[in-house]
Amino acid sequence: MRNWRSNRILFLGVCLAIALVLIATSQAGFLAPIKGIIAAPLNFVTGLLNRTTQDAVKIADMSSDVPTLQKRVADLEEALARYQSELVELREVANDYQRLSELVNYTSQTQNEEFLAADVISNADSNAPLQTISINKGTRDGITIGMPVVSQLGLIGRITDVTANASRVLLITDVSSAISGRLQTTRDEGSIVGQSSNDLRMEFIPLNAKVQEGDIVISSGLGGNLPAGIVIGQVTSVQQREFELFQNAVVRSLNNFATLETVLVVTNFQPVDLSVFEQSTQTAPGS
Amino acid sequence: MGTFLSLPIMILVAALQVTVMPQISLWGGRPDLVLLVVVSWALNATLEQGVLWAFVGGICKDLLSAAPLGTSLIGLILIVFAIHTVRQQLFSVGIFTLIWVSLIGTIIQEFSILIVLLFSGFQPQFASQLGYGIMVDQFRLFIVPTIVYNLIGIVPIYLITRIIQRAVGTNLRLTR
Repeated sequence: MRNWRSNRILFLGVCLAIALVLIATSQAGFLAPIKGIIAAPLNFVTGLLNRTTQDAVKIADMSSDVPTLQKRVADLEEALARYQSELVELREVANDYQRLSELVNYTSQTQNEEFLAADVISNADSNAPLQTISINKGTRDGITIGMPVVSQLGLIGRITDVTANASRVLLITDVSSAISGRLQTTRDEGSIVGQSSNDLRMEFIPLNAKVQEGDIVISSGLGGNLPAGIVIGQVTSVQQREFELFQNAVVRSLNNFATLETVLVVTNFQPVDLSVFEQSTQTAPGS
Repeated sequence: MGTFLSLPIMILVAALQVTVMPQISLWGGRPDLVLLVVVSWALNATLEQGVLWAFVGGICKDLLSAAPLGTSLIGLILIVFAIHTVRQQLFSVGIFTLIWVSLIGTIIQEFSILIVLLFSGFQPQFASQLGYGIMVDQFRLFIVPTIVYNLIGIVPIYLITRIIQRAVGTNLRLTR
């Protein structure tokens, strides 16, 4: 019994001595190379377990965060919708600003004319052959029939119908529209008629007139329906036939009539009614 | 068979100790799986086998630590010898035995590690901050939470260890 106890104490002492030697040699750095080799399988297993644990922790975190994330997603979606709406509004404001600034530039360049800005409320006529637009200004705003309507890019048309708060504008592209025009460079005159497209036709240009592509056509003011000097369009082609007494030209308006949003009504222009002279001419011989 | 099993099991347990256990760490403590497995195995194994498991477990644990190799060994060896002494007096291992072994084992292990670390030049900063002394602070901050964890963990680990021991045919033959 005594022998066994002494052996056990000896065993304990040997074990503790081994442990202390290990600590001392390890502390001295002698075991560093061996530790690296022995630790290799341990590190491999640890690495595997660590990855698995981290994945599990991530999944656990995600699952515990699901309600929070769902709320976050809902909040973000709501914010996104709000910001998209604001963005659309801001884009509209920017477009309006751009348009209005161009109109302001146009009005500042044009002297002796008073303008009233109006929003286009309808870009097309309910009857397809007719080329009209509707604007949100009427008699309450001083609009009368015959007033010219322009944009910064040139002539749009004339007021043909007026109500208290809206007006209809007959576009220069309408087939019933005929206005007197003049080539800006040569000062040759002609009559510009609509063709139901952005292309207009300038007729009755004298044969000796030198018309070139790119020439600017402006209103001449003849006939008293429109003020002189408003840009109508640009010559895109010239037609000259030997058997005709006049030459024609295709004129393209710079305006896109399908996308008009804001126009200017020239409010200080009063069309001249020339029919008075026609009547007096007819009645003069008899009187 | 139990001798050969010590290496893979202790490698796995030591790896779990540094990967999974930190995830459930609270108040500075965490279950000491290596200690619990060595204790559980030693309760129903011969002294020689218990010491072997202590050596393998302690070295595996220290290989995954910045502490010098053998730091955990001293405590584990002392615990295995203490268990062997106590086990001679017991007919069977019950819940109270597990609680006492776990409690005393944790205290021996943690303090022995601390002493070895202090001799190795370990200078804990918390002692100067709290002003209670290293041993008291260590006990309060780390050992008490670890004791709680080990008390919770000893029963399932002992049951698993017993299943393995029965499966491989390792059983203590009491020699009074």
